[in-house]
Amino acid sequence: MGRAQEKGADAVIERILLVVRKDLQLGPRSPIFLWVLILPFLITIMLQVAFGNLFESTPRLGIVDQGSSTVTTSVEAVDGIELTLLDDVDDLKRKVEANDLDAGLVLQPDFDAALQSGARPPLEFYVGGESLASNRVILAVTTVDIIREVEGSTPPVDVEVVALGKEGDPISVRLVPFITVYALLIAGVFLPSFSLADEREKRTLDALVVSPVRLSEVVVAKGILGFVLAIAMAVMTLWLNGALTAEILPLLIVLMVGGLLLVEVGLAYGTASKDINAVFALIKGTGFILLAPTIFYIFPDWPQWIARLFPTYWVINPIYEITINDGQLSDVAGELAIAFVVIVALAFVVAMLTRRLRTKLATT
Amino acid sequence: MSEPAIRVDDISFSYGDIEAVKGISFEVAPGEILGFLGPNGAGKSTTIKILTGQLTPRSGAAQVLGVDVTTDDPEMQANIGVCFEEKNLYDTMSATENLRFFGSLFGIKDVDTDGLLRRVGLADRAKDRVSKYSKGMRQRLMMARTLVNTPKVLFLDEPTDGLDPVSSQAIRNLIKEEAARGAAVLLTTHDMHEADELSDRVAFINEGKLHAVDTPESLKLRHGKRSVTVRLREGDTVTERSVSLEDADAGELLKTAVASPDLMTIHTEEATLEAIFIEMTGRGLEG
Repeated sequence: MGRAQEKGADAVIERILLVVRKDLQLGPRSPIFLWVLILPFLITIMLQVAFGNLFESTPRLGIVDQGSSTVTTSVEAVDGIELTLLDDVDDLKRKVEANDLDAGLVLQPDFDAALQSGARPPLEFYVGGESLASNRVILAVTTVDIIREVEGSTPPVDVEVVALGKEGDPISVRLVPFITVYALLIAGVFLPSFSLADEREKRTLDALVVSPVRLSEVVVAKGILGFVLAIAMAVMTLWLNGALTAEILPLLIVLMVGGLLLVEVGLAYGTASKDINAVFALIKGTGFILLAPTIFYIFPDWPQWIARLFPTYWVINPIYEITINDGQLSDVAGELAIAFVVIVALAFVVAMLTRRLRTKLATT
Repeated sequence: MSEPAIRVDDISFSYGDIEAVKGISFEVAPGEILGFLGPNGAGKSTTIKILTGQLTPRSGAAQVLGVDVTTDDPEMQANIGVCFEEKNLYDTMSATENLRFFGSLFGIKDVDTDGLLRRVGLADRAKDRVSKYSKGMRQRLMMARTLVNTPKVLFLDEPTDGLDPVSSQAIRNLIKEEAARGAAVLLTTHDMHEADELSDRVAFINEGKLHAVDTPESLKLRHGKRSVTVRLREGDTVTERSVSLEDADAGELLKTAVASPDLMTIHTEEATLEAIFIEMTGRGLEG
């Protein structure tokens, strides 16, 4: 008798892994699976076209200072510019060309003295062709301002800076919960639900349940694949968007809690649906509920308490706190506890729907 | 006598208020083919689902290989093969991949896919995706999948339904080979000729009730007419005469006929299984 035919925990795990391996093998032949894999890239492209990087990179300036210009020290003092000092002009040009720097500046010996004597010394300013236009403008304007300062000239106008609008995170940051949950949702909800419904529709589930594999093991296998891919896709989406800045362990823990909750939703949809059309209908009908809390981060003026009414809030907010506010697990422990309660409740729902599915398979 | 591979004792099952199986009992011995005959909705598939552990009977008991079918025991599943009427294969896998996967579920690391596919005449299409297979090829692959674990008990649900004569014959030959190997076979069909050709015994089921379980020969003897038809040439015409073997003068009549130079043929009037089924249940097998 093979291990797969036995009743022990090892045999159960082996059978679950056999189904996971089969689904992985079939994955590249499934449009849904491929969609899950390419989605992080698509989201990234869409968001970068719309808003630039979520966490915009600071402008990067390289300086070859052949004397000891005060321009260099002034740039060093400016917040928001990443300065790299180099010795060689060719090296500077290479880095700008390779987009390792947005722009490069070559300051000749006695640049400051020549400037102050009104000699109009030459200034080489190299701009990277692939650098963001916004970064180029920032670096050019800052450089000109500093040179004027060194020259000792006074600007022809007084500039009064008035901040308009409320202090808050830019839209690119407020989108982080949305993109993260979307990545978790696509892999965690879509993959298990479609996979189960597809097997039910094609009646391959019937063939599995008369083999040594139990239906509950098939359901768990679908969940495991969805869970692993959900976490991987969420991490990849954050990384591609430059938002993977938090401590990795707390981030992984909150992503895992979120992934688990959404996978259970996916399994509930999959076990409750008789075919793929039914899954689509369920997702269309309830997808809003899953994503709704993310909208409250995009529109912070809305009454935030409403977000708490949605079950996914209790995993979305911890993700936001850890990713954006550099929070610790202790800061979100209460919310994670509520998420855990939702997860336990959903586990009962999935178990009940799995039993119901077993009967449905045999009676239809 | 060896222990029966399948033992069914007074099982019943209902779908809601509808009684699908009403207290049926039968046994199938190792190496025996039991043809389970009945029209659609008679309770054939429900009985198979009970015996394969998919449904729990409302009452009664059933064992397969000595294991109670309600115990959800992987050991029992490991020793049975189920061929569904529905061609539920993984379409995006090749035949080889399908067999390897199902073999792995039974704990078989090195499935002899080539051997199995040769047996069903698909060796040259082993690497093709199942989505490219015809209906007959799928059904043959279904049979190969059913045999992947060399099962001791086979449940075959209409395995030749809608197939061309060549594919049907190939599958019938496989069934005979499996029975010869020692597998007990429960074969549901509403094809009387198939049942007659393959079955050691047949069971008639209608509206959830078993009406008879016996060998085809016994049923025919019991329910067929004890008579022969004698064909004689009379000038340019041929006349047929039915002679009942129950008649007192039947012997004399036959003697005379055999001695006659005008005798063309004498043949028995055997009842068909279909006729017996209709006689016993009051309805046909189709529909």
